[in-house]
Amino acid sequence: MSRLLLVLSLALAGCVSSRVEQNRESATGIASGEAIVVLGRASYNDRETEESFTDCIVDQLSGGSQAMRLIPQKEFKDSLYPWFEPRTAPNSASDLGELFAEPGVRARMDESKVRYLAWIDGDTVTVDRGGSMSCTLSTFGGGCFGMSYWEKDASYEAAIWDVQNLTVSGRISADATGTSYIAGLLIPIPIIARPGNAACKALAEQLREFIVGDG
Amino acid sequence: MRRLSICTTLALVAGVQVACTTNVVVEGSVPTPLIEKVPIRVGIYYSDSFKSYEHKEKLPEAGHYRIPLGEKNLMFFRNLTDALFLEVVELEEPRLAATQQEHLDAILIPEIVKYGFLVPAVSTLTFYEASIEYELTLTARDGGDIGSWKVVGYGKAEAAMFGGREAVGEATMQAIRDGGARIATEVSPEMIAKLASPSAPDAAPEEAAQ
Repeated sequence: MSRLLLVLSLALAGCVSSRVEQNRESATGIASGEAIVVLGRASYNDRETEESFTDCIVDQLSGGSQAMRLIPQKEFKDSLYPWFEPRTAPNSASDLGELFAEPGVRARMDESKVRYLAWIDGDTVTVDRGGSMSCTLSTFGGGCFGMSYWEKDASYEAAIWDVQNLTVSGRISADATGTSYIAGLLIPIPIIARPGNAACKALAEQLREFIVGDG
Repeated sequence: MRRLSICTTLALVAGVQVACTTNVVVEGSVPTPLIEKVPIRVGIYYSDSFKSYEHKEKLPEAGHYRIPLGEKNLMFFRNLTDALFLEVVELEEPRLAATQQEHLDAILIPEIVKYGFLVPAVSTLTFYEASIEYELTLTARDGGDIGSWKVVGYGKAEAAMFGGREAVGEATMQAIRDGGARIATEVSPEMIAKLASPSAPDAAPEEAAQ
């Protein structure tokens, strides 16, 4: 039964194309016990990084054979309140020096052994949609006919800040595009592409290699 | 018989209205701020309107909303002011008793002036928004005016992550946090500057570093 579900889900998953780019500015490495914090860049405009995306990155990095120590975003923001709120969060790695001059901030950061901050910026948007599908239901039965589609584009960038050296270690960007379809052949058959999920996996994998791989 | 039917109708209308009201619960952590203390001992007066502040609104697009904010704000402000001042004493009335005048330097009165929220059905955006306007009044122990500050906190919550009720609660909690962040990072340095001016009341600057 579970095999059938797996086959069905694979058959009904839409195609996604993704691309990852990396720009290293300094050598990296992480000692055992040191932690990473993944933070979504918040803003006061109508677009910001979805919490589900940063949660996905955290899940990817904290699992598997090369699991990393991650401090949850909420716990980190609470422990350093009010310095990582949307209004007060540092905009560049050089701002960290100024922030560390605030009473207790450096000590709190050292206490939790934070080595890197990974700021995630970007979002997933629908760039195209079309087609039409209608469903009817009557006493003689019912069904759906037609086809509709939508294309989503996921574009994210991670800026990795070295907390120890107060520098930007590098940037990784991930872009993924996918088109989803719903075909109405009596019953609606969805073929869903998940570019956000593909961008998350690609970005997380690259982030892990970026931090660990150049020790 | 007629009176009975009117009462039944009214009860039904009231029942339907209660059933259709979205009761928002404002939940979230109350962090202790990491900030430099304002070097004074204050008496803080929370008015009944602050402690039991509640927002009720009917949106044509989203129905009735009832949002009790007072309790969470009280919890948040207790934590914030404990971190912000050398010593905090909660007052029963907005003035100091003779014995308190010897010990306390000033009186702080926070009020919630305004609260508002927006749902995606109205804003056409993909998130819920909330804003709270606070007014903080600081007076000297003799009642003399030291300063007054208006602070607006803003918060938003993704519609996709929460249900409507939870999203309004989350946006409200973010607005409280944002208001607190502004008080801690913008208002408190102004308080310190005002207290350092010659007309300010006797403070205890030597204890600020503690």
